[in-house]
Amino acid sequence: MSAVAVVPARIRRQRRWLAVSGLVVTIVYLIPVYWMLNTSFKEAGDIFAVPPDLVPLPPTVASYVDAVFSDADIARGLVNSGIIAIGTTLVTLLIALPAAYGLARLQIPLLPVILMLFLIVQMVPSVNLALPMFVLFSSAGLVNSYVGLIIANCALAIPLAVTILRPYYLSVPTEVVEAAKIDGCNEFTAFWRVALPMSRPGMVTVTVISFLGAWGEFVFGLALATDDAIQPITVVLSEITNAYGVRWNDLMAVSAVIALPVIATFIFLQRYVVAGLTEGATKT
Amino acid sequence: MTRIAEERTGTAAVTPPPRLPRRRRNWRGLLFVAPAAIYVAATVVYPLLYNITQSFFDVGMREVTQGGAAFVGLDNYADQFGRPEFWHSLRVSLVYAFGTVAVTFLLGLGLALIFRRFYRGRNILRAVVLIAWVLPTVVSANVWRWLLDGSYGLLNAVLNTLGLVEGDVFWLGRPTTAVIAVILATAWSFGPLAMILLSAGMEGISPTLYEAARIDGASPWQQFRRLTLPLLRPVSLTVILLIFIFTFKTFDTIFLMTGGGPGGATETLPVYAYNEAFAFSRFDTAAVATVVLMVVPIVLSFVYFRAIRSEERA
Repeated sequence: MSAVAVVPARIRRQRRWLAVSGLVVTIVYLIPVYWMLNTSFKEAGDIFAVPPDLVPLPPTVASYVDAVFSDADIARGLVNSGIIAIGTTLVTLLIALPAAYGLARLQIPLLPVILMLFLIVQMVPSVNLALPMFVLFSSAGLVNSYVGLIIANCALAIPLAVTILRPYYLSVPTEVVEAAKIDGCNEFTAFWRVALPMSRPGMVTVTVISFLGAWGEFVFGLALATDDAIQPITVVLSEITNAYGVRWNDLMAVSAVIALPVIATFIFLQRYVVAGLTEGATKT
Repeated sequence: MTRIAEERTGTAAVTPPPRLPRRRRNWRGLLFVAPAAIYVAATVVYPLLYNITQSFFDVGMREVTQGGAAFVGLDNYADQFGRPEFWHSLRVSLVYAFGTVAVTFLLGLGLALIFRRFYRGRNILRAVVLIAWVLPTVVSANVWRWLLDGSYGLLNAVLNTLGLVEGDVFWLGRPTTAVIAVILATAWSFGPLAMILLSAGMEGISPTLYEAARIDGASPWQQFRRLTLPLLRPVSLTVILLIFIFTFKTFDTIFLMTGGGPGGATETLPVYAYNEAFAFSRFDTAAVATVVLMVVPIVLSFVYFRAIRSEERA
């Protein structure tokens, strides 16, 4: 009996072949992302080269310097998106954390109805909310305000957050919560001191997803922020598209800056993002 | 919950001491849930209902800012259902949704198969592909516009080099190719999501089934055709319904890539509704369009939840 598992040559060959095809497929699939970065590092004149240069040599950060960081509109858009995304994340955490706990751990009445409500609203098209919100917010003076945009973003973020968080609380053993109550915790302190710390991975997931969701959100920004001063970067990008015309390198630089926080968070917190998004998409 | 409790008491040989009745409702617990429930009711349910009422009134920009809209009954519905543009956009929406579902499913299945067997680096590759999915739509839509650009786009450069096309082809400027382009761009974003779900489904298939199939002399294709595909049916149903719902409500990809053009060729229902409201200030007929827009995903989500329930029971 040999203790060392020897991988047969046939399997090794098969694996190598699979690894190569996996690599090729991944590269091909992400050509659009590469092309965005490639173009963003090109000189204005080089983007019209036929055939196009596959590598921007020498790479230049001119687009980033000129189009992104010297442009007041872009800078303001980035700040606006940051404010909206942070606000959305905070409000979402504040409201969704106790709700998810309540729906998971407390035998509350109307449970199936509330669960169904949170699931169905995730299927609602953003346009369906953006139109009535515009009308309602107009009379409430909330159009062109951070508050209005945060309210709108939370309408999408909170149901998703509750759906993602509930399984984390379901996995907190009932005994632990009961023990806390015997030790003198009431319903709220049992949640705050015991269940909340135990659901930290879920909180990270929800924080990331709420932030990224609001950061990339477009429809609400388009409908509810007609004033340049309040527009998120996604809307600014869509508005400068025509003005930029064929300045693709600048446009790709702006796109890359919008994508950067998303890709960075994704790389560092991949586990949380993927878990959250798939749960949110499929959990019942 | 109650079912589990029943099963427990049914199988337990020793009867546990009687505990508090499990059905006791925790009304105080509602305090935890109330803020979220009220929030969703106020910011989702109320606007949706309000939107439905709007569809029975005569609402233009003046009424939005000053109020005083007149009740017009079903006039807005009659107006919309009598307009060819409305039916056109509904048709475009369905073509777009079905097309995207088909392409997304094939992409997801292909990716899931490529990453099915383990090898060093597989998990990293599989994770990297997901970038396509997490990219903000404004970004991917703009990148696709650039890739498909008629004069300097990468696609034309490649096709010209291969000799498949001659000169500039404006993919987003022709009706048919524009529809295909928005379908492919949307499917590119959703593909990795389908991959994750299908991968999870494949991991649930017992390897012994494949061993048995191999012993019986089944070729890899036969294994795929007779084993993998049938056993993926439940997950496939989930993927198809979810992607359909997601695509049917997609607004930004099309709005940013084509704006609904050329000549309305890619004007799906969400884009149509948005234009009715914000380009023409017809908030009433826009409401009609969004009411129709809402019916399809809601019906489908019911189908989806039913399907999942029966799956879980099985």
